[in-house]
Amino acid sequence: MGPWDTSDRIHGRKGRGSVLLSMGLVLLGACATVASAERTLTIAYNEEPQTSDMQMTTSCYMIPLNVYDRLIECVTTGPGKSALVPGLATKWEVSKDGKVYTFHIRKGVKFHNGEELTAKDVVYTFDRMLDPKTKALNTDALDFIVGAGDRMSGKATSTTGLKALDNNTVQITLENPFVPFLAIIAAPQCSILNEKFTKPLGSKYGLTAENTCGTGPFILKDWTLNDHHTMVANAKYWRGRPQLDKFVVKIVVDAETMRMLFESGEIDLFDCDFAMSQIPYFTSHPKWSKQVISGPRVGLYYYSINQKIKPFDDVRVRKAWQMAVNRKLILEKMYYNQGQLENGVMPKGLLHNNPNQAKIAYDPVKAKQLLAQAGYPNGVDMEIALVASTGSQWQKMSEIVQSMVAKAGFRVTLKQMDEAAFYATRKEGKLPMYCNKWSADFNDPDNFFYTFFGEKGTVARSYNNLNPDNFAALDKGRAETNFAKRGKLYADLEKKIVIDQAAWLPLFSVKHLYVVQPKVQKFVIPWNGWSDYPVYETRVK
Amino acid sequence: MKRFILKRLLVSIPVLIGITLIIFFLLNVVPGDPVALMMKEHISVDVVARVRAQMHLDDPAIVRYFRFLGNALRGDLGESYKLNRPVTSLILHAFPNTFVLAIWAALFAWIVGIPAGILSAVKKYSLPDNLFMGFSLLGVSMPVFWSALLFQWCFAVKLGWLPVAGFSGWQYVIMPAIVLGWSSAGTIARLTRSSLLEVMRNDYIRTARAKGLHELPVIFKHALKNALLPVVTVMAIQVAGLLAGAVITESVFGIPGVGRIAVNAIQARDMPLLQGAVLFETVLVILGNLVADILYAFLDPRIKVS
Repeated sequence: MGPWDTSDRIHGRKGRGSVLLSMGLVLLGACATVASAERTLTIAYNEEPQTSDMQMTTSCYMIPLNVYDRLIECVTTGPGKSALVPGLATKWEVSKDGKVYTFHIRKGVKFHNGEELTAKDVVYTFDRMLDPKTKALNTDALDFIVGAGDRMSGKATSTTGLKALDNNTVQITLENPFVPFLAIIAAPQCSILNEKFTKPLGSKYGLTAENTCGTGPFILKDWTLNDHHTMVANAKYWRGRPQLDKFVVKIVVDAETMRMLFESGEIDLFDCDFAMSQIPYFTSHPKWSKQVISGPRVGLYYYSINQKIKPFDDVRVRKAWQMAVNRKLILEKMYYNQGQLENGVMPKGLLHNNPNQAKIAYDPVKAKQLLAQAGYPNGVDMEIALVASTGSQWQKMSEIVQSMVAKAGFRVTLKQMDEAAFYATRKEGKLPMYCNKWSADFNDPDNFFYTFFGEKGTVARSYNNLNPDNFAALDKGRAETNFAKRGKLYADLEKKIVIDQAAWLPLFSVKHLYVVQPKVQKFVIPWNGWSDYPVYETRVK
Repeated sequence: MKRFILKRLLVSIPVLIGITLIIFFLLNVVPGDPVALMMKEHISVDVVARVRAQMHLDDPAIVRYFRFLGNALRGDLGESYKLNRPVTSLILHAFPNTFVLAIWAALFAWIVGIPAGILSAVKKYSLPDNLFMGFSLLGVSMPVFWSALLFQWCFAVKLGWLPVAGFSGWQYVIMPAIVLGWSSAGTIARLTRSSLLEVMRNDYIRTARAKGLHELPVIFKHALKNALLPVVTVMAIQVAGLLAGAVITESVFGIPGVGRIAVNAIQARDMPLLQGAVLFETVLVILGNLVADILYAFLDPRIKVS
């Protein structure tokens, strides 16, 4: 019986049931005892994970965070705090030039199909990501490995920078020194797969529970599309059996339904990110207000600024925009002051966050003067794009902003778009201003800077902040191995981008609120504020 | 009759092709990139370009359309862009849920709607008539998402009698079936009432009464048979519509049915899945109409299928 089979646990409970029988309890009562004794955590999620193959998706991380492991894990060590700790690699060394990483793979780790983890599985996993046949969406996570370009273009049949030195040692060689590498491979996209299990399945891998296999604390047991998926405890998990027997994720698209599921006790945890409008209800409810827990978010809300669309080609207009928005008021009125203002690119909790960064002041009078200096003494027309189907928080926020910035002379038109059109236009660099939020995928400034202000990212996100000095600094930041120097580099770059170039408007970070049933214990709020989290340590009474 | 059915089925083929053509070109006209949508906040222009090429999304629309049509004729509706699964299997997995919901909703509508309509017609302008017609008006005019939320709040949250949402047992069917069936029941009740009232004015009913028959045989043996003719037609079309997926009900009650698949496919610009879902739903509506016509001809010998 391999670890795939969880019947040992079930038999164990039946055994207890028979003891109860022998003590003279009726069969029905004993069965009821057995059923109620199962420690199940049920939650709701608002989107169907399209696959459990993390190379094929850029969202829905609940399955990978519980079914798979990574070489290195990024764990929550406190509110908004994280640390990189050994995962499937017990230790690692980095060469002096910062290009060669050697990972020592943990011995005795078993996949859910009973196969033992080897260095070959790691090489296979990363090579599979770069293999064009996979059609992976996350190649950005590994495309800096030597030979990745040739592999992705189909010129090579393997990635030269990936080597299994022996059964338990993996060597990865990078084209250039890349400091965020360790943080990146701790992200869910770099979850480790079993070669023997995955290879024969081809593109069918990860599409069903049966076609999913990891080393993680839970085994994906059943999966009904658009309904629910169930993960059961992996009794042979290398860190020890999880505290829960079962973890059920229900797919619920409607926010009201989700709240009612929680209130009727059908789900054990309510994620307020799925329905921000429910926050006042829960925080003022006599019963539920005691059950609200919250944690900081290593991320921020922001307004983009497209420098290719007039009048934002003028830095004075961009500065005026920054000064025209009363961020504090929005945080207070819309998010019930559950957060803090952010003034840069690196939010609080992120590596190299600069607590002394310059503040963006709210000053509509000065904003109006700046607009006049820029040649718009009578104010200026502009658009804010909104996704009609995302929910109401961006709509509400932009309506507030629309009336707020009128004082400074910005006449805002809200442009509703459907989601597909929004992202297609944004990709072309042609989307007007929009608001959104970003939470850290991995704890490194690169995750924020490169995403928004990298040479390609700045166009694909419709910023068009095409500043060669910024691009050079970003490349330097990726390669700088001296911690202090790197911190200074990013602090300087942050000042340039936010204060000198006024390339975006950071708003605030908002706490992530959850409401939990009294039976739920030790729920760890993820450090970065995601709605996806591992439940390895969570218990239910 | 066989010729009639065959002719109707043959006529439906160009309808099906026409519908796929309209959907395909409409989706090509509206802006949207399924790969950019898949990646959303994690967009990478390089990856989008590569994956688009791999999925043949850069081919001209006409090439993609005929590729789809060619595959569809061989029974292959392609693979969903977003869910990476065969479209046929996605629809066939979702359809049983929609089927169960539709059948129970239809049964509820018939069991409640027809007797309510009869009673209202027989006791015209009485308290039960006003009551039934009031309820049927509510059912017809109240948006499903609203009545669904009311039912959930009352019967699940406050009374705890039924589960709020999901679809993993008989108790999960009750609320959505009633919510969905209520609207159809309203239509059926009103139609039964008006049709019965009209029939009751006919000479043959007067003759039956003049013969000294009791009122019940007059209604059930003579009047109802004719009065139900238009009702049956509406019922058949309603069932076809219900089987094609009740989008809002499925979303609010978390039912993994065909309606939800179609809406998700539109939002995700998932062309193969949407084409498949629309084709499937069109077939159901065509069959529903066909059944209605056949039933009509069967129930009313005056109507010849020719």
